Amino acid sequence: MEFICALVPHFSVALARRDNPALQALPVVTGQASEARGSVIDCSDEAMRAGVAPGMLITRAQVLCPSAAVIPMREEQAKAAGEAFADVLADLCPATEAIEPGHVHADVRGMAKLAGLGPAEYLAELQETIAGLTGLAVRVGGASTVFVAHAAAGFLAGPSCHIARREGEEALGPLPVEALPVSNEMLRRLHLFGLERLGQVGELPPTALQAQFGREGLLAWRLIHCEEPGRLMPRHDEVRIVERVSLPAPAVMSTPLVLGTEIALQRALRHPEADGRALRRADWVAELENEERLSLPFVFREPTADPARMLFVIRNAIERQVLTAPAIGIEVTLSGICSEYVRQERLWRSGPRNQEALSEAIEQIGARTRGQQIYRIVEVEPWSRIPERQRALAAYSP
Amino acid sequence: MVKNTRTPTSTGGLLPLNLPQPAAVEADRNGHPARVLVRGVLRSVVAVTGQWRIDDEWWRSEISRAYYTVELDSGAHLTMYNDLVTGGWYSQPYTAPARLKAG
Repeated sequence: MEFICALVPHFSVALARRDNPALQALPVVTGQASEARGSVIDCSDEAMRAGVAPGMLITRAQVLCPSAAVIPMREEQAKAAGEAFADVLADLCPATEAIEPGHVHADVRGMAKLAGLGPAEYLAELQETIAGLTGLAVRVGGASTVFVAHAAAGFLAGPSCHIARREGEEALGPLPVEALPVSNEMLRRLHLFGLERLGQVGELPPTALQAQFGREGLLAWRLIHCEEPGRLMPRHDEVRIVERVSLPAPAVMSTPLVLGTEIALQRALRHPEADGRALRRADWVAELENEERLSLPFVFREPTADPARMLFVIRNAIERQVLTAPAIGIEVTLSGICSEYVRQERLWRSGPRNQEALSEAIEQIGARTRGQQIYRIVEVEPWSRIPERQRALAAYSP
Repeated sequence: MVKNTRTPTSTGGLLPLNLPQPAAVEADRNGHPARVLVRGVLRSVVAVTGQWRIDDEWWRSEISRAYYTVELDSGAHLTMYNDLVTGGWYSQPYTAPARLKAG
């Protein structure tokens, strides 16, 4: 077993039912109920059987399923809960990829052996752990490819389901074609051809599928035959440097805010993570006396490690802000850590005296490395619409 | 008649600049970029801010590209294209061609 898929069917409904167990016995519809023309985000199987579907107006859903409990939920709420769910998986598995809220794929190679368990026992234990930590009815599928693991979690019976490598094709055969990650148009045409099960699609030659459906057809054939082209795109936890400064007195003028920001930037850049590195992004937050937070994101045109350059960018925005209450603290978060770009123009605009020293340095570098190290940009086809044809690097000799 | 000097042809020591870099992109149903892997982090595209096509050199080695300028959820802006001949995705900063001088 190499991959697992952890899936909470109807995630926002499951969240509502977790928070209010009385909803277990009722059909549930989640949506933006506060708005007169709010739409359905998700609904339980009972509501779906009554004809309710995501995207439908809530008023229409209430007509179709009068007994349904409509639970107001914003998409941000479900997204935040989805991130918490993905964090639980990230703590349990070496590499994870969050597909959508309540749906995570993970690479678990070697984990069963590490735990001293068989694949099926490991999967059952993992399912129990995730369900215990999140309080959600999670289904976990495990297999040698991501698609088979996903199909096992979504379509096969039981809260945990392991499919061995040699059983993959056989297990997929009876599943409906809706298990395939393809467009609705392809699914519609598969039904028109009378192809309802993956086994029926898998029996066709790949060239026929490709001829009918293009790339999607070939992808479907390869997925059914466990020849998966893709792998996980694991999430990486980005390094962030957070520094907070409390202002000595509540401030509404820009001067103390800029000063506080400067101190926070200087402190942040002294962190070991930022040592010798440049940063691409700063998030500035002013904490206000009325417990509100004024947040401003800044993405630098070029990565920089210079607090003065960062402050120059941030200062202009701070001076334009109108605060709803005095600020009591400043928080700066630096992220997008990378190596710094060389800024070429400074070298070549440094005046005739420096040019001589520069030419000498270039000659010395050339002599020491016995090869060309310094290049200049020349225009080759500046009129070309193809970007890589416009300019090129030519050897620079002083 | 000019004698063949047998000197191999070359670009005179020019190195290409701004070559397209392969990019890991997930396209949506319409073929527009939906998610992009940037330095190991999968970023969602929050807006497609520009879109144009380049079709050229069909008589030689065909170039057919659908360019997109996108804004990512990190706030960064990126220019990328879908090679319509090979089907691959590439990121490439774009500069508009210089205008030819009249006369």
